[in-house]
Amino acid sequence: MGKLNIELNDSRNVFAPGGQVEGRIEWSLDANPTTLTLSLLWYTSGKGTRDVGVLCTNRIDSPGALGSDKFSFTLPPGPYSFSGKLISLIWALELTSTPGSETVREEIVVSPTGREILLTSVAGQGEGKDNQSRPFLECILGVPYAGA
Amino acid sequence: MRARDNPFAADRIERIRYRFVGTSLDELLTRLDDMNYRAAITGPEGSGKTTLLEDLREALEYRGLRTKLLFVNDASPLSEAQCRRFLSELVPQELVLLDGADAIRRSSWFLFRRHTVRHAAGLLVTSHRPGLLPTLIECTTTAGLLQEIVRDLSPQTPALSPAFLRALHNRHQGNLRACLRELYDVCAKAP
Repeated sequence: MGKLNIELNDSRNVFAPGGQVEGRIEWSLDANPTTLTLSLLWYTSGKGTRDVGVLCTNRIDSPGALGSDKFSFTLPPGPYSFSGKLISLIWALELTSTPGSETVREEIVVSPTGREILLTSVAGQGEGKDNQSRPFLECILGVPYAGA
Repeated sequence: MRARDNPFAADRIERIRYRFVGTSLDELLTRLDDMNYRAAITGPEGSGKTTLLEDLREALEYRGLRTKLLFVNDASPLSEAQCRRFLSELVPQELVLLDGADAIRRSSWFLFRRHTVRHAAGLLVTSHRPGLLPTLIECTTTAGLLQEIVRDLSPQTPALSPAFLRALHNRHQGNLRACLRELYDVCAKAP
């Protein structure tokens, strides 16, 4: 059984939008993989169909069975990491070796507040529809929503 | 409860594989071989046909067979032109896996059935109703199966009692997908 590892610099896993994600990957595999792929991605989890966005991919060809390498990605302005009752958006780094199915994933938080944005229901507070959708839209857009 | 913590989130449900009752994957593969790879997986909505087709695909490819999978449903219908293109790109070594054979037009189905006799290694379909091809297996669900899946997904949710799950299974007429979607809502309401 091989081993893949993603280590973030200073064990930091919370980042501001537009920030730099840096760290190191390590691999110790039973056989020589043809390729190692490190991706920065987000995906949704919740009631509906899963959505995935892959932002950047670093590919190492013929990496050998054992090794390590540094990585650095620049985050986009959004979407932010968020969670509601129906959907969560989760950012992650994913390292995969090919052939085979060895995969390791390291979750990170991308948020201007330093925490995952929690979407709470505002129904019944007398606010208009526009205000109710504001937190969600801000998370998706990655910028303050000024309204329609 | 946050969506990511919900034990019935779609990505967790997708990881559930088909559970055999009274047969096994190996038995089914042997039967499929005996049927010359022309067969149908039948059963009502939410009974595991697509999951089983995906599992069979993995097993067939592991055994060295080439497969070509096509999903058809109301949300992604298949036009006559798409059907012809799909068939024209087939190579004789490929086994066609068609999910939703009863969702395609009758003329396209006849084309599929006829074309794959000579130009493919076989045709395995899923269908709500029997009769399109000889039945390989009829998928069914039970309240016990739902309980087993719920126990695996959410072992610490006491509100989901066997009686509640039996009633749920009954209300959705055995449609496990619908049952699990409702259970998502039950958990989402929890603090």
